[in-house]
Amino acid sequence: MKREKMKKIITICVLSVFSCLPLFPQQEIYLTLKEGVPAIAMALPNFFVSGSSPRAREAAAEIHRVISEDLAYSRIFELLPKKYYDYIRPLDPKNISYKEWESIQASILLAGEVSEGEGENIVFEGKVYDVKGQRFIFGKRYQATKSVYRLAAHRMADEMVKNLSGEKPVFTSKIVFVSDRDGNDELYMMDYDGQNQTRLTFNKTRDYMPAWSADGKKIAFTSYRKLGEAGLYLLDLEAGKITPVSTRGTNFAPSFSPDGKKMVFCSTMDGNSEIYAANADGRNVKRLTFNEGAVDTAPAWSPTSREIAFVSDRSGTPQIYIMDAEGSNLRRVSFGGTYHDSPAWSPTGDRIVYVSRVENIFDLYVLNLRTNQITKLTESNARNESPSWSADGRHIAFTSNLGGTLQIYAIDYDATNMRRLTSQGANKLADWSR
Amino acid sequence: MIKKILIIVFICALAFLFLMSCKPKVKPTPPPPAAQEQPKVEKVEETPPVTKPSLSEEEIFMSKSLEEINIQAPLKMIHFDYDRFEIRADARPILDSDAAWLQKFASAKVLIEGHCDERGTEEYNLALGEKRAKSTMDYLVSLGISPDRMKIISYGKSQPLDSGHAEMAWAENRRAQFLIIEK
Repeated sequence: MKREKMKKIITICVLSVFSCLPLFPQQEIYLTLKEGVPAIAMALPNFFVSGSSPRAREAAAEIHRVISEDLAYSRIFELLPKKYYDYIRPLDPKNISYKEWESIQASILLAGEVSEGEGENIVFEGKVYDVKGQRFIFGKRYQATKSVYRLAAHRMADEMVKNLSGEKPVFTSKIVFVSDRDGNDELYMMDYDGQNQTRLTFNKTRDYMPAWSADGKKIAFTSYRKLGEAGLYLLDLEAGKITPVSTRGTNFAPSFSPDGKKMVFCSTMDGNSEIYAANADGRNVKRLTFNEGAVDTAPAWSPTSREIAFVSDRSGTPQIYIMDAEGSNLRRVSFGGTYHDSPAWSPTGDRIVYVSRVENIFDLYVLNLRTNQITKLTESNARNESPSWSADGRHIAFTSNLGGTLQIYAIDYDATNMRRLTSQGANKLADWSR
Repeated sequence: MIKKILIIVFICALAFLFLMSCKPKVKPTPPPPAAQEQPKVEKVEETPPVTKPSLSEEEIFMSKSLEEINIQAPLKMIHFDYDRFEIRADARPILDSDAAWLQKFASAKVLIEGHCDERGTEEYNLALGEKRAKSTMDYLVSLGISPDRMKIISYGKSQPLDSGHAEMAWAENRRAQFLIIEK
């Protein structure tokens, strides 16, 4: 039964991948963006619908809406106000009038065209133009059925970010999390925008603290499925198989190295809470910390896979430390507080987000490793915890009891753009895929 | 002639003896005439209860399922101070009686679960819960309970007894509790 459901989920994932494969290759053009650089003024007029097919018109509206939301969320682009489009002639994909688009201050234009495809499919073609340079930059064509219109839109948005900013896009990324909506804590995953929430594990005991593998094909997690054990397991999403990694003692807080080679986790297998490393497949478990009497926990990889941030209370209070991947070269990076925990290293390498307790309020802070400056990310009389970065280093998913119950939120690295992603049951421990 | 008569008599005697041996020896006496007076009143008394050999506490223990035993919770939980895992003074007498129970029921094996209140991160609380379970186990070992009979696990803050968000609830949730897993 479990396998069946898992297979179904995987089949849907695989089908959706194939059903919107791009039909012609991309050209690679990068315009490097820096922080603080103003967003690119982007014209995203309504898509052109060829013929009078209601299916194509419906698809055009949905794909346009999703791409608009994606690009607005990225902060790389700034969409032109809709009313600007009234000043010029409507989009004609066959004949792009650069002058008119420039007259309403567009730098980049996405011209979309949707038509009916074979069977239940529609075909969506997106072409991106450099308005000032008066040239075609790249185009993509997707074939999709209704259930994957959103995915086709996310794909196009991903391509826009990849091609125009060189950043790692996030729109097809997934967030794995824990929810009790069906009775007890189980693993679920959702799209980056909170859509398509899908259950991943099915049993009567707690599944907990998930983490994505670097390739997004596996999830490591803690499970109490065997009485008296809090084991670390690996869920293979393609095979629908769960295999144990370490079941002696309490095993938790897994983190995969971004290079795909290693994982680290916390375990009490030798009596005390220590950090262990293993191969990404869970084999060859090796102990990294040796501090009887102190808690070492919450390991998180650096984007280079050469260092690990973690928490230790060896100084008397929980503080954040960094060590080399082999456990050597230890240094403390958090000061001036009595409780710092749950570090997550930004994919850009220069920031660590963590939880700090001040007067029993738990808030997220971002430590800039270059400048040693600390920015407070959340500002609420609540518990905010379990931060996880998006692949582009611009957004952070976290858990908060801000609205009364525990829910998953996302916020930008500079404390703007906060939004709630879940609402059903209590939801926590989000991990954002790379 | 006489000889002939004698033989006949002898045969008859034999036959008589044979028949006699076949017949019931005692002829049943005819039933007495039905009594005319009222039957005598018989007093019905309760049969005395059967005295079973009394079960020992161990036998009662063995006759129950693990679920039944755990519902009765013979081992009492202890509580901890915020962010601490040391055994408090008020927890010692509780653990002393828990140890006495474990000594009495020497076959029982237990899982000691460490729990935390909701303040603190998931990771830190899992480590802290483990330490609470460990210090509980260490105390019981110091009272002579074999460590082989005890297993520890941490649930962090994921299984609160009281879902409230104030000190009353938190104090209740910072605990080490027992689950009997073998008898």
